[in-house]
Amino acid sequence: MRSTRLARVLAALLPPRARRDLFEPALCDLDAQRHGRRANAARLILLFLDCWRVAPAEILSMFLKDLRHAFRLLRRDALFTATVVLTLTLGVGANVAVFALVNAVLLRPLPYPDADRLAVVEHRSRQTGFTKPFIAIGDHIDLRARQTVFEAFAGYGHGPIVVHGDEDIWEGEALTATEELFTVLRAEPFAGRVFDAADMHPNAARVAMLGYEFWQRHFGGDLSVIGRAVPLGMGRLPHQVVGIAPPHFRFPPTTTSDVIVPLRLPPAAPAARTSGWTFVVGRLAEGVTPEQAGAQMAALSQQMEQEHPEQNQGSEYYVKPLRDALVGDTRPALLQMLGAVGVVLLIACVNVANLLAARSIGRRREMAVRVALGAGRRQILMQLVAESIALGVVSGIAALAFAYWTVPALVSQVPASLNLNANQSIAFDGTVLGFAALVSFGTALAFGLFSGLGLRRDIAAATLTSSRGTTSSTARRASSALVVAEIALAIVLLASAGLVLRSFASLLAIDPGFRADGVLTASVAASPQRYPDEASRAVFQRQVFDAIRALPGVEAVGSAAVTPLTGNTWSAPLDRVDRPSPQGQRPPEVGWQAATAGYFSALRIPLLEGRLFDDARDTPGSAPVVIVSAAVRDRHFDGASPIGKRVRVGDSEAEVVGVVGNIRRSTITDQPWADLYFPQSQSPSLSMGLFVRTASDPATLAGPLLAAIRGVDPQVLVRRVEPFERTVRESTQVTRLALWLLGVFAATALALAAVGIYGVMSYSVRQRTRELGTRVALGATPLNILGMVMTQGLRLTIAGAVIGLVGAAIAGRALASLLFDTQPAEPFVLVGAALVLALTAMAACYLPARRAARVDPARTLTLPG
Amino acid sequence: MSKPRLPKLTHLQFLVLGLLRDGEQPGRQLRETLAAHGVRRTAPAFYQLMARLERDGLVEGRYEQITTGGQAVTERRYTLRARGREMWDQARDFYVAAAATGDVRWSDA
Repeated sequence: MRSTRLARVLAALLPPRARRDLFEPALCDLDAQRHGRRANAARLILLFLDCWRVAPAEILSMFLKDLRHAFRLLRRDALFTATVVLTLTLGVGANVAVFALVNAVLLRPLPYPDADRLAVVEHRSRQTGFTKPFIAIGDHIDLRARQTVFEAFAGYGHGPIVVHGDEDIWEGEALTATEELFTVLRAEPFAGRVFDAADMHPNAARVAMLGYEFWQRHFGGDLSVIGRAVPLGMGRLPHQVVGIAPPHFRFPPTTTSDVIVPLRLPPAAPAARTSGWTFVVGRLAEGVTPEQAGAQMAALSQQMEQEHPEQNQGSEYYVKPLRDALVGDTRPALLQMLGAVGVVLLIACVNVANLLAARSIGRRREMAVRVALGAGRRQILMQLVAESIALGVVSGIAALAFAYWTVPALVSQVPASLNLNANQSIAFDGTVLGFAALVSFGTALAFGLFSGLGLRRDIAAATLTSSRGTTSSTARRASSALVVAEIALAIVLLASAGLVLRSFASLLAIDPGFRADGVLTASVAASPQRYPDEASRAVFQRQVFDAIRALPGVEAVGSAAVTPLTGNTWSAPLDRVDRPSPQGQRPPEVGWQAATAGYFSALRIPLLEGRLFDDARDTPGSAPVVIVSAAVRDRHFDGASPIGKRVRVGDSEAEVVGVVGNIRRSTITDQPWADLYFPQSQSPSLSMGLFVRTASDPATLAGPLLAAIRGVDPQVLVRRVEPFERTVRESTQVTRLALWLLGVFAATALALAAVGIYGVMSYSVRQRTRELGTRVALGATPLNILGMVMTQGLRLTIAGAVIGLVGAAIAGRALASLLFDTQPAEPFVLVGAALVLALTAMAACYLPARRAARVDPARTLTLPG
Repeated sequence: MSKPRLPKLTHLQFLVLGLLRDGEQPGRQLRETLAAHGVRRTAPAFYQLMARLERDGLVEGRYEQITTGGQAVTERRYTLRARGREMWDQARDFYVAAAATGDVRWSDA
């Protein structure tokens, strides 16, 4: 073969076998055909391309051979294989598990077409900073008429409902919606029709749609239900079914939509703009970003503020993508956890790199023999890649199994509001499997190539003649550098876990202003037909309380409209009658609550002044009274006693009769609000949120409580019977999730770092056996040797710790949104993390050091080489 | 009576081995003869076929320098090995037997 430079270059770009078997003889033919004249570049390139067209089958067959060989080798070196696979399984498995969660919560598209264009409109009070996920109906009507940034703009609400069948009563979730919701969500009915403008008229006939799954479950998929009247709600009001929603339709996506009824808004904004609220979702017009929509909402808010200063002063509306609204503060927590689990993978990688580097040194002779027998660099590299892929396959499968078993535990730590279990949202779909394959193969392949590059240098040295297996100083330094990196990364994770733990301790130390332990809560709804007026409702309420009080162990029972720590931000404008707000100025917003006297007793909210409500005295006909929290007294009455003073809330006035302690009402991390409490006994409601304090375990009271309420009225709807502590626990769930994950990651990192440092020190001791033997022969005591090895380990640990502490301080800042009452660079936490790691590292060093101290010079100095 | 066995050679392999029965031949010439039989293969595809025959021990290849047009060039030459000859004979026997008996029952076992 006459070789030109181009031919040589092209030949080098082919796999060896394709080069030898295909390219070279074909090139000879080319030369012979042209009677020795060299083939031109075009012919050469065509030949080269043709070889590549034919080559894959060759490459595949070679590679399969390499792969079989790789599996045989890995089986032979079982301890090495098990260590690498276990390390990668932990690292990759943890990443896959967290990614599966991130995929379900943040990445997987919402179940609506073009869902990225869906956004909600929420309210913020400039004066208090309070935000509400819903907006006033008056403002909704004006915003809908004036906005141009949404192609469809819908109001909706959701809550429990009862549906009356011929013989049964079914409980379900209702979605109330304006007709635009179906346009916003681009939902077509499975059967019948969706709502239209005529259905929204205040005097239109009552209509409803059924959710597909609800219809299947309770109506057996019978289409004749369309057109029939189905009684809905506690009032058994008949609603004509006009359509069936498409399969899997639900809104919001974290709940179910069993029944859909029209949300009827007045045709024009009412004078009392803030009476009544609605949630809003819209589909952004083509090309409009949420920011642009937000800017228009802000401009319209200002417009409405000028038009209605008394009611809209300080009110502003903003736009949030639907997914952000659903995910809330879980998004930063999950992304931070993905970052943290990435660090675990890095540590696992460093360990694997160290193991592979050590193994490659041990295989220098084997590789040198292969080179001597004619193996090219590429062949050796291909063999190493095949070994990496074999490791990747085994580790990838093990990691998937690990993740599969870990995810349920992970889901149990996710805030219940995301409703992951109910919607079976966590699945190992294509994205997760792709991620698992990418991470496991990517990691294994990277380290295969890494150790291959190291080997190439060794092969160049061709140490066939050397019988000693000592490492070069470069290799030792590289190995030490990897351990330093590993220690640094482990400290970052340990410190992060420490910071979140500290933050969690701060959260637990918060006094919410009430006692949740020993309290059982339940939600009760009664029929308006059975209790048509306030008098009958008051009787029903009293009977329910009496029945519960009669239960053994019950100490106090009360009810309230708002359950604390559920994120509720209901508020009302507060004006003092003796010192009203200036004309044209909106009074300050304070928290609004309706409760009975028993609510304060059940939650142990202390009475500071005056009296609690009195069911016998504060009746529907009596003079309106109100209880205020200490914050109202301090902020709006300058700390003076407000007892006997009158306040105006909206159009009504009430006399302050008591002052109670502050509580954290919306979330555990909020500062206590200024709250107003109105007596439920003055306007008894058909629905009550019960709070029952018991001397025993509240969970055991659930059954008797249900029976007691049903004893008063068997048709009453009782839901969400659960210990109040569960609600309180849920309010710290994001921090718990972060703590749980970081704790697991930190423990894994610590274990991996210990394994890493142990491996390096053991290897170092093994390599230096002759040197250590010589030292002992020259008079070094076992203690000297022990000290020497421990010092070597300590040096690595200190170097890693210094780098790690800098990294931890940076990571702390990234975690700031998760931290409560904790500094991102808390010295106590940083030092603690460094100490824990140093102790672990020293323990890991001790075993190899002890082995070094027991070196027998008589034996080691007579070893060959 | 044992059933005749299907030959393990493909038609193309049978053809190439048959051409080599007359003695060593260069790859280029083999390709040209195949082309004359209507079997056209690109050079890499043809040499892939030859490489597999070599790997299976049916033929043996070697490079030899020749002079053409006053220039020295190298060509790949192939010889039939004993195993190749045996396989070709078996295949030929099968086809002969198959042609002679219309109702032959084949076995690929």
